[in-house]
Amino acid sequence: MGIYDLNLRVLVPYLPVLGWGAVRTLEISVLAILLSFPLGLVGALMRVADNRLARAIATGYVETVRNIPLLVVLYILFLVLPLYGVRINSLTAGVLGLAINSTAYTIEIVRAGFASIPAGQYEAARSLGLHRLQMLCFVIVPQVFRIVLPTLGNQIVSVVLGSAQASIIGVGELTYQTQSIGSSTFRYFELFTIAALFYIVCVQLISLLWRLLTGRAAHAPLGT
Amino acid sequence: MLASGHLANYLLLLLKGAAITLELSLGSLVLGSLGGIVFGAMRSSSTRALKAIALVYIEAVRSIPFVILLFFVFFAVPLALDMDIPPYPAAIAALSVHCSAYMAEVVRSGIESIPEGQWEAAASLGLPYYRIMRLIILPQALRVMIPPTIGVYVSTIKESSLASIIGFVELLGQGMAIREANALRGSADVLVAVAFGYFVICFSLSQLGRYLEHRTARELPPATKWTKGAIARLLVAGRPETEAVRQTS
Repeated sequence: MGIYDLNLRVLVPYLPVLGWGAVRTLEISVLAILLSFPLGLVGALMRVADNRLARAIATGYVETVRNIPLLVVLYILFLVLPLYGVRINSLTAGVLGLAINSTAYTIEIVRAGFASIPAGQYEAARSLGLHRLQMLCFVIVPQVFRIVLPTLGNQIVSVVLGSAQASIIGVGELTYQTQSIGSSTFRYFELFTIAALFYIVCVQLISLLWRLLTGRAAHAPLGT
Repeated sequence: MLASGHLANYLLLLLKGAAITLELSLGSLVLGSLGGIVFGAMRSSSTRALKAIALVYIEAVRSIPFVILLFFVFFAVPLALDMDIPPYPAAIAALSVHCSAYMAEVVRSGIESIPEGQWEAAASLGLPYYRIMRLIILPQALRVMIPPTIGVYVSTIKESSLASIIGFVELLGQGMAIREANALRGSADVLVAVAFGYFVICFSLSQLGRYLEHRTARELPPATKWTKGAIARLLVAGRPETEAVRQTS
Protein backbone atom coordinates (compact mmCIF):
# COMPACT_ATOMS: atom_id res chain seq x y z
CA MET A 1 0.00 0.00 0.00
CA GLY A 2 1.82 3.07 -1.22
CA ILE A 3 1.12 6.65 -0.35
CA TYR A 4 -1.46 8.09 -2.74
CA ASP A 5 0.09 10.76 -4.94
CA LEU A 6 -2.20 13.73 -5.38
CA ASN A 7 -2.22 14.98 -8.93
CA LEU A 8 -4.15 18.15 -9.48
CA ARG A 9 -2.44 19.08 -12.75
CA VAL A 10 -4.36 16.43 -14.69
CA LEU A 11 -7.56 18.20 -13.72
CA VAL A 12 -6.66 21.66 -14.97
CA PRO A 13 -8.25 21.18 -18.44
CA TYR A 14 -11.47 20.06 -16.73
CA LEU A 15 -11.81 23.08 -14.44
CA PRO A 16 -14.20 24.98 -16.77
CA VAL A 17 -16.50 21.94 -16.88
CA LEU A 18 -16.50 21.78 -13.08
CA GLY A 19 -17.16 25.51 -12.92
CA TRP A 20 -20.16 25.25 -15.23
CA GLY A 21 -21.36 22.32 -13.17
CA ALA A 22 -21.23 24.50 -10.09
CA VAL A 23 -23.19 27.20 -11.92
CA ARG A 24 -25.81 24.62 -12.87
CA THR A 25 -26.02 23.49 -9.24
CA LEU A 26 -26.78 27.04 -8.14
CA GLU A 27 -29.17 27.52 -11.06
CA ILE A 28 -31.39 24.53 -10.28
CA SER A 29 -31.29 25.37 -6.57
CA VAL A 30 -32.42 28.95 -7.20
CA LEU A 31 -35.20 27.80 -9.54
CA ALA A 32 -36.42 25.22 -7.02
CA ILE A 33 -36.41 27.80 -4.23
CA LEU A 34 -38.22 30.40 -6.34
CA LEU A 35 -40.91 27.80 -7.03
CA SER A 36 -41.17 26.37 -3.56
CA PHE A 37 -41.23 29.46 -1.32
CA PRO A 38 -44.43 31.01 -2.78
CA LEU A 39 -46.03 27.56 -2.98
CA GLY A 40 -44.97 26.97 0.61
CA LEU A 41 -46.80 30.11 1.71
CA VAL A 42 -49.93 29.05 -0.17
CA GLY A 43 -49.71 25.55 1.31
CA ALA A 44 -49.23 26.94 4.82
CA LEU A 45 -52.30 29.18 4.39
CA MET A 46 -54.21 26.06 3.36
CA ARG A 47 -52.93 24.20 6.42
CA VAL A 48 -54.25 26.88 8.76
CA ALA A 49 -57.46 27.50 6.79
CA ASP A 50 -60.92 26.93 8.20
CA ASN A 51 -61.85 24.93 5.12
CA ARG A 52 -61.48 21.28 6.02
CA LEU A 53 -60.78 20.14 2.44
CA ALA A 54 -57.97 22.68 1.97
CA ARG A 55 -56.44 21.56 5.27
CA ALA A 56 -56.66 17.90 4.32
CA ILE A 57 -55.04 18.45 0.91
CA ALA A 58 -52.15 20.45 2.37
CA THR A 59 -51.59 18.01 5.22
CA GLY A 60 -51.73 15.03 2.88
CA TYR A 61 -49.21 16.66 0.56
CA VAL A 62 -46.77 17.50 3.35
CA GLU A 63 -46.94 14.07 4.97
CA THR A 64 -46.58 12.23 1.67
CA VAL A 65 -43.65 14.19 0.32
CA ARG A 66 -41.75 14.40 3.60
CA ASN A 67 -41.87 10.63 4.03
CA ILE A 68 -40.60 9.68 0.57
CA PRO A 69 -36.90 10.00 -0.34
CA LEU A 70 -36.07 12.77 -2.82
CA LEU A 71 -34.43 10.23 -5.11
CA VAL A 72 -37.69 8.25 -5.40
CA VAL A 73 -39.56 11.47 -6.26
CA LEU A 74 -36.96 12.24 -8.94
CA TYR A 75 -37.23 8.72 -10.38
CA ILE A 76 -41.01 8.92 -10.47
CA LEU A 77 -40.89 12.26 -12.30
CA PHE A 78 -38.19 11.19 -14.73
CA LEU A 79 -39.09 7.55 -15.38
CA VAL A 80 -42.82 7.26 -14.70
CA LEU A 81 -44.27 10.50 -16.07
CA PRO A 82 -43.06 9.78 -19.66
CA LEU A 83 -45.10 6.55 -19.55
CA TYR A 84 -48.21 8.70 -19.31
CA GLY A 85 -47.20 10.81 -22.28
CA VAL A 86 -45.62 13.66 -20.31
CA ARG A 87 -42.40 14.66 -22.05
CA ILE A 88 -39.94 15.77 -19.41
CA ASN A 89 -36.18 16.26 -19.62
CA SER A 90 -33.80 15.65 -16.76
CA LEU A 91 -33.35 19.34 -15.97
CA THR A 92 -37.09 19.95 -15.63
CA ALA A 93 -37.52 16.76 -13.64
CA GLY A 94 -34.65 17.78 -11.35
CA VAL A 95 -35.98 21.27 -10.67
CA LEU A 96 -39.55 19.98 -10.23
CA GLY A 97 -38.45 17.20 -7.87
CA LEU A 98 -36.43 19.61 -5.73
CA ALA A 99 -39.33 22.09 -5.72
CA ILE A 100 -41.89 19.42 -4.74
CA ASN A 101 -39.63 18.30 -1.90
CA SER A 102 -38.78 21.79 -0.74
CA THR A 103 -42.40 22.97 -0.84
CA ALA A 104 -43.39 20.33 1.73
CA TYR A 105 -40.71 21.47 4.17
CA THR A 106 -41.44 25.15 3.51
CA ILE A 107 -45.13 24.59 4.29
CA GLU A 108 -44.17 23.15 7.67
CA ILE A 109 -41.77 26.02 8.41
CA VAL A 110 -44.36 28.68 7.53
CA ARG A 111 -47.13 26.82 9.37
CA ALA A 112 -44.99 26.85 12.51
CA GLY A 113 -44.67 30.60 11.97
CA PHE A 114 -48.47 30.97 11.86
CA ALA A 115 -48.79 28.85 14.99
CA SER A 116 -46.48 31.16 16.89
CA ILE A 117 -48.64 34.26 16.30
CA PRO A 118 -50.65 34.93 19.47
CA ALA A 119 -54.44 34.68 19.13
CA GLY A 120 -54.65 38.27 20.36
CA GLN A 121 -53.26 39.49 17.05
CA TYR A 122 -56.17 37.94 15.15
CA GLU A 123 -58.68 39.27 17.67
CA ALA A 124 -57.19 42.76 17.57
CA ALA A 125 -57.22 42.78 13.76
CA ARG A 126 -60.84 41.65 13.72
CA SER A 127 -61.91 44.19 16.31
CA LEU A 128 -60.39 46.89 14.10
CA GLY A 129 -62.83 45.77 11.45
CA LEU A 130 -60.27 44.33 9.05
CA HIS A 131 -61.64 41.59 6.84
CA ARG A 132 -59.86 38.32 6.39
CA LEU A 133 -57.59 39.24 3.50
CA GLN A 134 -56.56 42.54 5.06
CA MET A 135 -55.85 40.80 8.35
CA LEU A 136 -53.58 38.27 6.63
CA CYS A 137 -51.78 40.77 4.40
CA PHE A 138 -51.24 43.58 6.86
CA VAL A 139 -51.15 41.94 10.28
CA ILE A 140 -50.36 38.24 10.25
CA VAL A 141 -48.16 37.49 7.23
CA PRO A 142 -45.63 40.29 7.91
CA GLN A 143 -45.07 38.89 11.40
CA VAL A 144 -44.92 35.30 10.14
CA PHE A 145 -42.41 36.40 7.53
CA ARG A 146 -40.10 37.79 10.20
CA ILE A 147 -40.37 34.70 12.35
CA VAL A 148 -39.66 32.19 9.58
CA LEU A 149 -36.85 34.10 7.82
CA PRO A 150 -33.96 32.50 9.75
CA THR A 151 -35.37 28.98 9.23
CA LEU A 152 -35.88 29.57 5.51
CA GLY A 153 -32.08 29.96 5.30
CA ASN A 154 -31.72 26.34 6.43
CA GLN A 155 -34.23 25.36 3.76
CA ILE A 156 -32.14 27.05 1.05
CA VAL A 157 -29.12 25.09 2.29
CA SER A 158 -30.98 21.81 2.17
CA VAL A 159 -32.15 22.50 -1.39
CA VAL A 160 -28.52 23.07 -2.45
CA LEU A 161 -27.51 19.81 -0.72
CA GLY A 162 -30.45 17.97 -2.31
CA SER A 163 -29.58 19.28 -5.77
CA ALA A 164 -26.62 16.87 -5.81
CA GLN A 165 -29.17 14.05 -6.18
CA ALA A 166 -30.34 15.51 -9.49
CA SER A 167 -27.04 14.18 -10.91
CA ILE A 168 -28.50 10.68 -10.69
CA ILE A 169 -31.19 11.40 -13.28
CA GLY A 170 -28.57 13.09 -15.48
CA VAL A 171 -28.71 16.80 -14.67
CA GLY A 172 -25.24 18.10 -15.54
CA GLU A 173 -24.55 19.86 -12.24
CA LEU A 174 -21.42 19.71 -10.12
CA THR A 175 -21.81 16.17 -8.75
CA TYR A 176 -22.58 14.82 -12.22
CA GLN A 177 -19.54 16.52 -13.80
CA THR A 178 -17.33 15.41 -10.91
CA GLN A 179 -18.32 11.82 -11.44
CA SER A 180 -18.06 11.90 -15.21
CA ILE A 181 -14.59 13.49 -15.15
CA GLY A 182 -13.63 10.94 -12.49
CA SER A 183 -14.62 8.04 -14.70
CA SER A 184 -12.27 9.22 -17.45
CA THR A 185 -9.32 10.42 -15.34
CA PHE A 186 -9.61 8.20 -12.25
CA ARG A 187 -8.67 11.16 -10.07
CA TYR A 188 -11.74 10.53 -7.89
CA PHE A 189 -9.93 11.48 -4.70
CA GLU A 190 -8.97 14.96 -5.88
CA LEU A 191 -12.28 15.51 -7.67
CA PHE A 192 -14.57 14.62 -4.79
CA THR A 193 -12.40 16.63 -2.41
CA ILE A 194 -12.81 19.67 -4.67
CA ALA A 195 -16.57 19.08 -4.93
CA ALA A 196 -16.89 18.64 -1.16
CA LEU A 197 -14.95 21.86 -0.55
CA PHE A 198 -17.17 23.70 -3.03
CA TYR A 199 -20.32 22.56 -1.23
CA ILE A 200 -18.88 23.41 2.20
CA VAL A 201 -17.85 26.92 1.12
CA CYS A 202 -21.11 27.43 -0.72
CA VAL A 203 -23.30 26.30 2.20
CA GLN A 204 -21.35 28.31 4.77
CA LEU A 205 -21.48 31.40 2.54
CA ILE A 206 -25.23 31.03 2.06
CA SER A 207 -25.77 30.71 5.82
CA LEU A 208 -23.57 33.73 6.51
CA LEU A 209 -25.11 35.90 3.80
CA TRP A 210 -28.63 34.91 4.83
CA ARG A 211 -27.88 35.83 8.44
CA LEU A 212 -26.49 39.20 7.35
CA LEU A 213 -29.36 39.92 4.96
CA THR A 214 -32.17 38.84 7.24
CA GLY A 215 -30.68 39.92 10.55
CA ARG A 216 -31.91 43.42 9.92
CA ALA A 217 -35.36 42.39 8.68
CA ALA A 218 -35.85 40.09 11.65
CA HIS A 219 -35.24 42.89 14.13
CA ALA A 220 -36.77 45.82 12.29
CA PRO A 221 -39.93 47.24 13.83
CA LEU A 222 -43.18 46.30 12.13
CA GLY A 223 -45.60 48.73 10.61
CA THR A 224 -45.18 51.92 8.67
CA MET B 1 -49.30 0.78 -17.62
CA LEU B 2 -50.42 -0.16 -14.15
CA ALA B 3 -49.94 -3.90 -14.18
CA SER B 4 -50.87 -4.82 -10.65
CA GLY B 5 -50.83 -8.49 -11.48
CA HIS B 6 -47.05 -8.42 -11.49
CA LEU B 7 -46.82 -6.84 -8.13
CA ALA B 8 -47.77 -9.88 -6.06
CA ASN B 9 -44.76 -11.75 -7.40
CA TYR B 10 -42.38 -8.98 -6.44
CA LEU B 11 -43.91 -8.10 -3.10
CA LEU B 12 -41.70 -10.54 -1.23
CA LEU B 13 -38.57 -9.14 -2.87
CA LEU B 14 -39.65 -5.59 -2.04
CA LEU B 15 -40.36 -6.55 1.57
CA LYS B 16 -36.89 -8.05 1.78
CA GLY B 17 -35.51 -4.80 0.37
CA ALA B 18 -37.43 -2.86 3.02
CA ALA B 19 -35.95 -5.06 5.74
CA ILE B 20 -32.44 -4.39 4.37
CA THR B 21 -33.16 -0.64 4.29
CA LEU B 22 -34.22 -0.75 7.96
CA GLU B 23 -31.18 -2.80 8.89
CA LEU B 24 -28.70 -0.60 7.01
CA SER B 25 -30.18 2.54 8.55
CA LEU B 26 -30.36 1.12 12.07
CA GLY B 27 -26.74 -0.05 11.89
CA SER B 28 -25.68 3.40 10.72
CA LEU B 29 -27.77 5.05 13.42
CA VAL B 30 -26.09 2.96 16.14
CA LEU B 31 -22.57 3.60 14.79
CA GLY B 32 -23.44 7.23 14.14
CA SER B 33 -24.76 7.64 17.69
CA LEU B 34 -21.42 6.50 19.12
CA GLY B 35 -19.69 9.21 17.06
CA GLY B 36 -22.51 11.59 17.92
CA ILE B 37 -22.02 11.14 21.66
CA VAL B 38 -18.28 11.83 21.36
CA PHE B 39 -18.68 14.90 19.12
CA GLY B 40 -21.77 16.13 20.98
CA ALA B 41 -19.94 15.94 24.33
CA MET B 42 -16.94 17.71 22.78
CA ARG B 43 -19.22 20.39 21.35
CA SER B 44 -20.76 21.13 24.74
CA SER B 45 -17.49 20.88 26.69
CA SER B 46 -15.77 23.94 28.08
CA THR B 47 -12.40 23.23 26.44
CA ARG B 48 -12.10 25.57 23.51
CA ALA B 49 -9.97 23.32 21.28
CA LEU B 50 -12.33 20.34 21.65
CA LYS B 51 -15.29 22.58 20.94
CA ALA B 52 -13.65 23.93 17.78
CA ILE B 53 -12.73 20.47 16.46
CA ALA B 54 -16.29 19.22 17.01
CA LEU B 55 -17.78 22.35 15.43
CA VAL B 56 -15.64 22.00 12.30
CA TYR B 57 -16.48 18.30 11.97
CA ILE B 58 -20.22 18.80 12.44
CA GLU B 59 -20.44 21.79 10.11
CA ALA B 60 -18.29 20.15 7.42
CA VAL B 61 -20.26 16.90 7.34
CA ARG B 62 -23.58 18.73 7.38
CA SER B 63 -22.47 20.96 4.50
CA ILE B 64 -21.56 18.08 2.16
CA PRO B 65 -24.36 16.42 0.16
CA PHE B 66 -24.69 12.78 1.19
CA VAL B 67 -24.13 11.70 -2.44
CA ILE B 68 -20.65 13.25 -2.37
CA LEU B 69 -19.86 11.56 0.95
CA LEU B 70 -21.01 8.22 -0.40
CA PHE B 71 -19.08 8.56 -3.68
CA PHE B 72 -16.00 9.63 -1.73
CA VAL B 73 -16.10 6.47 0.38
CA PHE B 74 -16.96 4.23 -2.57
CA PHE B 75 -14.76 5.69 -5.36
CA ALA B 76 -12.04 7.83 -3.79
CA VAL B 77 -11.06 6.03 -0.58
CA PRO B 78 -10.39 2.69 -2.36
CA LEU B 79 -7.99 4.49 -4.75
CA ALA B 80 -6.22 6.24 -1.88
CA LEU B 81 -5.90 3.09 0.23
CA ASP B 82 -5.40 0.77 -2.72
CA MET B 83 -8.10 -1.63 -1.56
CA ASP B 84 -11.63 -2.55 -2.62
CA ILE B 85 -14.59 -1.39 -0.56
CA PRO B 86 -17.78 -3.32 -1.39
CA PRO B 87 -21.11 -1.41 -1.49
CA TYR B 88 -22.43 -2.53 1.92
CA PRO B 89 -19.46 -1.36 4.05
CA ALA B 90 -19.21 1.78 1.92
CA ALA B 91 -22.89 2.61 2.44
CA ILE B 92 -22.77 1.90 6.17
CA ALA B 93 -19.56 3.94 6.63
CA ALA B 94 -20.87 6.95 4.70
CA LEU B 95 -24.28 6.83 6.43
CA SER B 96 -22.63 6.52 9.86
CA VAL B 97 -20.44 9.58 9.28
CA HIS B 98 -23.49 11.49 8.02
CA CYS B 99 -25.54 10.32 10.99
CA SER B 100 -22.84 11.14 13.54
CA ALA B 101 -22.88 14.85 12.67
CA TYR B 102 -26.66 15.05 13.09
CA MET B 103 -26.60 12.92 16.25
CA ALA B 104 -23.89 15.20 17.67
CA GLU B 105 -26.36 18.09 17.46
CA VAL B 106 -29.06 15.96 19.11
CA VAL B 107 -26.67 14.98 21.91
CA ARG B 108 -25.49 18.56 22.36
CA SER B 109 -29.00 19.95 22.71
CA GLY B 110 -29.86 17.06 25.03
CA ILE B 111 -26.90 17.83 27.28
CA GLU B 112 -27.64 21.55 27.19
CA SER B 113 -31.24 20.93 28.24
CA ILE B 114 -29.97 19.78 31.64
CA PRO B 115 -29.83 22.73 34.05
CA GLU B 116 -26.40 24.04 35.10
CA GLY B 117 -27.29 23.30 38.73
CA GLN B 118 -27.03 19.57 38.06
CA TRP B 119 -23.42 19.98 36.93
CA GLU B 120 -22.61 22.18 39.89
CA ALA B 121 -24.24 19.84 42.38
CA ALA B 122 -22.43 16.83 40.94
CA ALA B 123 -19.11 18.63 40.80
CA SER B 124 -19.49 19.78 44.39
CA LEU B 125 -19.97 16.13 45.37
CA GLY B 126 -16.51 15.58 43.91
CA LEU B 127 -17.52 13.50 40.88
CA PRO B 128 -15.10 13.61 37.93
CA TYR B 129 -16.34 14.75 34.48
CA TYR B 130 -16.98 11.37 32.90
CA ARG B 131 -18.91 10.13 35.95
CA ILE B 132 -21.06 13.26 36.02
CA MET B 133 -21.75 12.65 32.35
CA ARG B 134 -22.46 8.93 32.71
CA LEU B 135 -24.40 8.95 35.98
CA ILE B 136 -26.20 12.28 36.00
CA ILE B 137 -26.31 14.13 32.71
CA LEU B 138 -26.70 11.46 30.02
CA PRO B 139 -29.48 9.48 31.77
CA GLN B 140 -31.59 12.63 31.97
CA ALA B 141 -30.60 13.90 28.55
CA LEU B 142 -31.53 10.54 27.02
CA ARG B 143 -35.22 11.24 27.60
CA VAL B 144 -35.04 14.52 25.72
CA MET B 145 -32.96 12.95 22.98
CA ILE B 146 -35.30 10.10 22.02
CA PRO B 147 -37.78 12.01 19.80
CA PRO B 148 -35.08 13.84 17.75
CA THR B 149 -33.16 10.57 17.44
CA ILE B 150 -36.20 9.05 15.75
CA GLY B 151 -36.15 12.05 13.42
CA VAL B 152 -32.53 11.31 12.53
CA TYR B 153 -33.48 7.67 11.95
CA VAL B 154 -36.22 8.69 9.52
CA SER B 155 -33.88 10.95 7.56
CA THR B 156 -31.21 8.24 7.55
CA ILE B 157 -33.74 5.82 6.05
CA LYS B 158 -34.48 8.34 3.31
CA GLU B 159 -30.80 9.03 2.64
CA SER B 160 -30.09 5.28 2.57
CA SER B 161 -32.04 5.10 -0.70
CA LEU B 162 -28.91 6.60 -2.29
CA ALA B 163 -27.01 3.39 -1.51
CA SER B 164 -28.84 1.92 -4.51
CA ILE B 165 -26.72 3.99 -6.89
CA ILE B 166 -23.47 2.35 -5.77
CA GLY B 167 -25.09 -1.02 -6.40
CA PHE B 168 -26.35 -1.92 -2.95
CA VAL B 169 -29.70 -3.64 -3.16
CA GLU B 170 -31.98 -2.14 -0.49
CA LEU B 171 -35.62 -1.15 -1.02
CA LEU B 172 -35.05 1.25 -3.94
CA GLY B 173 -32.25 -0.91 -5.36
CA GLN B 174 -34.57 -3.91 -5.25
CA GLY B 175 -37.28 -1.93 -7.06
CA MET B 176 -34.90 -0.79 -9.78
CA ALA B 177 -33.55 -4.34 -10.19
CA ILE B 178 -37.07 -5.71 -10.57
CA ARG B 179 -37.81 -3.09 -13.24
CA GLU B 180 -34.67 -4.03 -15.16
CA ALA B 181 -34.89 -7.79 -14.84
CA ASN B 182 -38.54 -8.13 -15.77
CA ALA B 183 -38.79 -5.61 -18.56
CA LEU B 184 -41.10 -3.53 -16.41
CA ARG B 185 -39.71 -0.23 -17.57
CA GLY B 186 -43.05 0.43 -19.18
CA SER B 187 -44.89 0.07 -15.89
CA ALA B 188 -45.20 2.51 -13.01
CA ASP B 189 -46.23 0.09 -10.31
CA VAL B 190 -42.85 -1.02 -8.97
CA LEU B 191 -41.63 2.52 -8.31
CA VAL B 192 -44.98 3.48 -6.82
CA ALA B 193 -44.80 0.43 -4.55
CA VAL B 194 -41.27 1.45 -3.48
CA ALA B 195 -42.50 4.98 -2.70
CA PHE B 196 -45.37 3.52 -0.71
CA GLY B 197 -42.92 1.31 1.20
CA TYR B 198 -40.79 4.29 2.23
CA PHE B 199 -43.93 6.21 3.13
CA VAL B 200 -45.27 3.50 5.44
CA ILE B 201 -41.92 3.09 7.22
CA CYS B 202 -41.13 6.79 7.60
CA PHE B 203 -44.68 7.89 8.41
CA SER B 204 -45.12 5.40 11.22
CA LEU B 205 -41.74 6.25 12.71
CA SER B 206 -42.48 9.99 12.50
CA GLN B 207 -45.81 9.49 14.23
CA LEU B 208 -44.05 7.53 17.00
CA GLY B 209 -41.54 10.36 17.37
CA ARG B 210 -44.31 12.95 17.51
CA TYR B 211 -46.18 10.96 20.17
CA LEU B 212 -43.08 10.59 22.35
CA GLU B 213 -42.26 14.27 21.93
CA HIS B 214 -45.71 15.36 23.07
CA ARG B 215 -45.50 13.09 26.07
CA THR B 216 -42.03 14.27 27.07
CA ALA B 217 -43.20 17.86 26.79
CA ARG B 218 -46.36 17.21 28.82
CA GLU B 219 -44.81 15.51 31.81
CA LEU B 220 -43.27 17.40 34.66
CA PRO B 221 -39.58 16.77 35.07
CA PRO B 222 -39.67 13.63 37.18
CA ALA B 223 -37.34 12.50 39.90
CA THR B 224 -36.33 9.21 38.39
CA LYS B 225 -34.53 6.30 39.86
CA TRP B 226 -32.10 5.59 37.08
CA THR B 227 -31.51 1.95 37.83
CA LYS B 228 -30.46 -0.33 35.01
CA GLY B 229 -33.99 -1.71 34.95
CA ALA B 230 -35.50 1.74 34.57
CA ILE B 231 -33.28 2.57 31.60
CA ALA B 232 -34.08 -0.75 29.99
CA ARG B 233 -37.78 -0.13 30.48
CA LEU B 234 -37.41 3.37 29.09
CA LEU B 235 -35.78 1.98 25.99
CA VAL B 236 -38.52 -0.60 25.60
CA ALA B 237 -41.60 1.31 26.68
CA GLY B 238 -40.44 4.89 26.88
CA ARG B 239 -41.75 5.27 30.45
CA PRO B 240 -39.31 5.27 33.36
CA GLU B 241 -40.35 4.74 36.96
CA THR B 242 -41.15 8.20 38.12
CA GLU B 243 -41.97 9.68 41.45
CA ALA B 244 -44.18 12.71 41.30
CA VAL B 245 -42.28 15.80 42.26
CA ARG B 246 -43.85 18.28 44.60
CA GLN B 247 -42.80 21.59 43.29
CA THR B 248 -41.88 23.75 46.23
CA SER B 249 -42.85 27.30 45.70
